[in-house]
Amino acid sequence: MSSLQKYYKQSATYKIFSGMFSELEKFLDTLGKITLNAIEVYKWIFKGQIDWREVINQCSRFGVSSLPITLSIVGMTSIIVASQVALEMVKQGGGNFVGLLMTMLIVREVGVIMSGFAIISMIGSSLASEIATMRVTEQIDAISVLKVNPIRYLFVPRVLSGFIMMPPVVLIASAVGVIAGAVTAHLTSGLGYRAFFDSAWLGIYMKDLFVSILKAFTFGGVIALISCSCGYYAKGGAKGVGEATTKAVVWSFVAIVILDMFFAMVFFF
Amino acid sequence: MSIEVKNLIKTFGERRVIDDVSFKVEDGETLAIVGFSGSGKSTILKLICGLLTPDSGEIITSKGDIAMVFQYSALFDSLNVADNIAFALHERKDLRKKYSEKEIRKIVSEKLELVGLKGIENKFPSELSGGMQKRVSFARAIVTEPNSILYDEPTAGLDPISSTLIEDYIVRLKDETNAASIVVTHQMSTITRTANHVIMLYDGKVVFEGTPQEMLRQENEYTKQFVTASLDGPMHMISEN
Repeated sequence: MSSLQKYYKQSATYKIFSGMFSELEKFLDTLGKITLNAIEVYKWIFKGQIDWREVINQCSRFGVSSLPITLSIVGMTSIIVASQVALEMVKQGGGNFVGLLMTMLIVREVGVIMSGFAIISMIGSSLASEIATMRVTEQIDAISVLKVNPIRYLFVPRVLSGFIMMPPVVLIASAVGVIAGAVTAHLTSGLGYRAFFDSAWLGIYMKDLFVSILKAFTFGGVIALISCSCGYYAKGGAKGVGEATTKAVVWSFVAIVILDMFFAMVFFF
Repeated sequence: MSIEVKNLIKTFGERRVIDDVSFKVEDGETLAIVGFSGSGKSTILKLICGLLTPDSGEIITSKGDIAMVFQYSALFDSLNVADNIAFALHERKDLRKKYSEKEIRKIVSEKLELVGLKGIENKFPSELSGGMQKRVSFARAIVTEPNSILYDEPTAGLDPISSTLIEDYIVRLKDETNAASIVVTHQMSTITRTANHVIMLYDGKVVFEGTPQEMLRQENEYTKQFVTASLDGPMHMISEN
């Protein structure tokens, strides 16, 4: 190596760019692995190689276990928004639109995205740490040696449960959010329930419900897929499990925000 | 011939972990692979059972299953003992069609009896001692009637009596199944009690090949250092290089 090359490799510019390229390489590597896993999961689903007993177990974990925290988060977000908006709108003469605004906000965005965040923090992190622990304790190697495909055994039931359970969770959370909004609006501004729900119906279209369910379906599968993938490629011991869990949470958060933006552009532009 | 390895090479990054390794293990025989930590012993097992792909060289195994007993048992902690042992029978399409649930329960019971653990079907791995976990992993490994069994440090971390018990089961399983077995170990008792042949690895290369008795004669400077556990000799820990 020439002295010029050595000098260049010690420069700050080289270090910054090599660091950036290294991060870009890691990002593309993770994206590639998640994509390949997604293809394999769909392949097994279309082949009908599904362990329905395990799907039901995972559905219980995905839906039932996450429901209290999801309802709390969506309900409280709704209370926060309604308590700040309702009184002001009533004062400005827009009381008839409080229900419309709240319902549109919850059905289109708050219900889905806040449920997504709740499920990532509760279920996504748990899926990633479970599979990462199986990886570092050689349980996934044991599955492979026994000639069972780990993607079919571990990913398929979890991803399917994400697809199946997220829409009902979001629908229930959205209903709770609308009710919490109505109660809050009534308590803070004295707006009647009848006035709230009369305008609420004006704000809901079938398209909104359809998009909300479609988003929930997509987010559920994506969260499960990313979480399983991040756990699957964990390395090392306890530190590796922690890193995989963090990675799963960050990637899932970013993915659902990007997907949400994509849905907004396709359906509401 | 059940397992034959020819001119195997495996590199991780810049480091050649396995460097031109060749050996043969016939049916009903046990080969012990010994050497320092980091000398590539476990990598050879992972290459044989397909968890890793070699850079070059050949691994020829006779038709049938290869089973592996992992260093820390690798039992599925969310499943009970019976489901751990029956895992392949439940999850593999070819085996699922072959056995009814009643037959699977009978097979599980037989395999547990073989490793001296009858009646623990409903316990979870966390409720078992290290030695018992290891024996359950033996039962899980042989449930598919494998032609070859690979043991990755089967007696590591066990007390001397449990180690002897595990060594006896390795011999018993070999006799029952007539499988070709490979045992990766550091322990002299495991080598002398279970193996017909020994190869010693250092820095990815085979530095000794012979019987356990020849190894104990310490005619090779590598075996002499290993058997006497001496710091003086041709071998140094990888981190010291």
